Amino acid sequence: MFIPRRLAQALPTLFVVSLLVFFFMDMIPGDPAQMLAGPAATDEEVQSIREFLGLNQPLLTRYGLFLKGLWDPSIATSFRTHRPVAVELAERLPNTLIVAIGGLALGLVVGTVSGVVCALRQGGFAEAIITVLTLTGISMPIYWLGLLCIWFFAVYLGWVPAAGASTPMHFVLPILVVATRPTAMFSRLITASLLEAMSKDYLDTARAKGLSETRVIVSHALRNSLVAAVSVAGVQFGGMLGGSVVTETVFGIPGVGRLLVDAVSRADYPVVQYTILMFAIFFVLINLATDLLTQWLDPRTREERRAA
Amino acid sequence: MEKLRLVRYAAVLAGVLGSTTAMAAPEGVLRVAVGADPATFDPAFNDLPVANAVDLAVLEGLFRLDPKNNIQKNLATDYGFSADGKVFTVKIKTGKKFSNGDPLNAEAVAASFNRLLDEKVGSIYRGLYASLGVAKAVGEDTVEFHMAEPNGHVLMLLANTAASIVNVKAVAQMGAEYGRKPVGSGPYMVEKFIGGESFRLVPNPTYSGDYPATLKAIDFTVAPEDGARMALLETGGVDVVERVPPESMPAINALKTAKVINPPSMFSINMELVLRGPLKDAKVRKALNMAIDRQGMAEGILGGLGTPSVGMVGPGTQDELRRTFPPIKFDPEGAKKLLAEAGYKPGTLQLTMTCPNGRYIKDAQVCQAIAGSFENIGVKATANVVDRGTWSKVVGLDPAQRTDNMGMVGRATAGMDYTLFRLFKSGVGANRTGYSNPKVDDLLAEGRRVTDPAKQKEIYGEVQEIVWNDQPFIFLWYQTQALGVSNKVQGLEVQPNETLVFDKVTLK
Repeated sequence: MFIPRRLAQALPTLFVVSLLVFFFMDMIPGDPAQMLAGPAATDEEVQSIREFLGLNQPLLTRYGLFLKGLWDPSIATSFRTHRPVAVELAERLPNTLIVAIGGLALGLVVGTVSGVVCALRQGGFAEAIITVLTLTGISMPIYWLGLLCIWFFAVYLGWVPAAGASTPMHFVLPILVVATRPTAMFSRLITASLLEAMSKDYLDTARAKGLSETRVIVSHALRNSLVAAVSVAGVQFGGMLGGSVVTETVFGIPGVGRLLVDAVSRADYPVVQYTILMFAIFFVLINLATDLLTQWLDPRTREERRAA
Repeated sequence: MEKLRLVRYAAVLAGVLGSTTAMAAPEGVLRVAVGADPATFDPAFNDLPVANAVDLAVLEGLFRLDPKNNIQKNLATDYGFSADGKVFTVKIKTGKKFSNGDPLNAEAVAASFNRLLDEKVGSIYRGLYASLGVAKAVGEDTVEFHMAEPNGHVLMLLANTAASIVNVKAVAQMGAEYGRKPVGSGPYMVEKFIGGESFRLVPNPTYSGDYPATLKAIDFTVAPEDGARMALLETGGVDVVERVPPESMPAINALKTAKVINPPSMFSINMELVLRGPLKDAKVRKALNMAIDRQGMAEGILGGLGTPSVGMVGPGTQDELRRTFPPIKFDPEGAKKLLAEAGYKPGTLQLTMTCPNGRYIKDAQVCQAIAGSFENIGVKATANVVDRGTWSKVVGLDPAQRTDNMGMVGRATAGMDYTLFRLFKSGVGANRTGYSNPKVDDLLAEGRRVTDPAKQKEIYGEVQEIVWNDQPFIFLWYQTQALGVSNKVQGLEVQPNETLVFDKVTLK
């Protein structure tokens, strides 16, 4: 019951997002017809393009068409390419997801390992190095780090291509770069929560059972620390979708972020509106997934059991 | 590897079908990194130079522009006006085919133009071509344009890539996908198009004509970020990069493998004034023009990628009709005197300007510098640097609705008539300065009617002179293009409208 109920609860949220994205887009300065026609167009030419794009219809009619476009992709077409927005998004989404999921997974693994190392070797040399690196990772803007990495790994060392997305090698650098922030976040988070957990009595109980120190940390302490990490991961994943706007432009990856940037600068309303709505749906799903994972990791958050 | 093999097949096929004469077989793969992301190659909707270059290689028009923007016949073999100037007749080559095998005859040509002119198609160029009226096929090899109004500049219109012949049957079948893989009759065809990432041209095996493919393939990579795009050239990942920013030129020139080339551009950058209030006064306009150190800004801000204006229209607009004048001198003291004569004490005149950000080379910085130049002669100036949507809205407003005094706009439009008529004829919807001069109105109307080149030269020469002296703009400069080109690329040319021409490109 939990999942359908959560999804039903999300509907009003999505409705409000659809209202905001549609009406805000309309309020943003810039007339798509004028931009398509160019600065040398006469008023009559602009008017005829506006008519063709259906921008002369009343606002509510256009909103109705926008909602209808969710079911009927043939009416939800880009102003610039005339292709259905669904087709444009389907073509771009895999690239965005590869970078986002790749970056998050790498960040989770590396962050967890370095976090555990830090917690176990408090005051050691490794901790000092990791602390410096994680602070750098959290503070460095992605676009700047991206350009530095392009210079170092692509231009200076020549190991990876500088920009594009035609081969798997093209994704190596973007994934490494977007992984920096989640790595740093997870590392610090895991260290903090492990240190807290290690002073708890239940670990002594585990040790008293005769478990090895590794078992104690991995299956008892770490499991509890992961609860916090999972909720952060959800937020990070959402942040990566938003951040794709920057990373994809820097690395020349044709993903949804780039599509959105181009569409905004060209006032391609349908592409902007549906893309943002899709991001909103992703956020809802990510939150749901995070909650489910948390419940699995932490029995105390399971509603049914609490009610019983 | 898979792709390479495909290209080889295509090239072999082209060799078998195309080169019965002693033509060299296509050889080598040219790799180009572009900054802009073409949304469509459909000439009725495309507005990017990158896609113009593709259209020039993949489609054919009745006429075409050479690398200096001179008009040449392409599909057309002969042409002429009827005695009353109402019918323009073009004879075309016979036996031509589209790359899918459909015949490219008079009917196909007429259909292509009637699609461009069809209101339901919604082409962004319909207004520009409206004077063509209706196209009719007469037999296999003759197309008649029954003109909506006399137009002595029809060749310039027909030579533009927007007038390229599309296969209307294929458009009907493919719908919007036609914009990605247009079916044309040019020397190349689009083999694949990955939106936002890359596209690839390969030789069209059915091509017959004067510009056979010289390359096995042309690979385009889209890299919008300047630094990443330059890195592609530096690492040898591509052979050509377009839009080299001024600050990257020394680094590219320092490479052993590549150099920057600087072809002229027709992009004429100006501050277009809203002619009311203080700016109605010719002395004020003159003073503002004298306040600008064009050479200094072109070198200091644009890194040399600008040439001070010597006329409103840029080079390559239609050089046989273009007239140039001595550059405007930088004279802040003279400007102050003129302002005093016009009755403005220092600090009493306030002006605001609207500027785009990232549309022209260093546009935002240029606006700040211009505001500074105005302050220098005692005019209070505010530079409003705005986003693209706001900018296009403001500079597209009717002059009466404008609240600012000037806007930075670049003009790169095909043809003298098109540019001058739209910008300076009284009451035309694209005249955003409110400029109105009865003499210019008469000349522009006359220039449109006459078809004699000598007479046109005289008329448009006079219009250019009047506009240059009236100064409805603060004339700035013509942009200079900058492309990074590997030493192994030979024969690459670039039109003044920033279209790459691949006609004669070979690789060492």
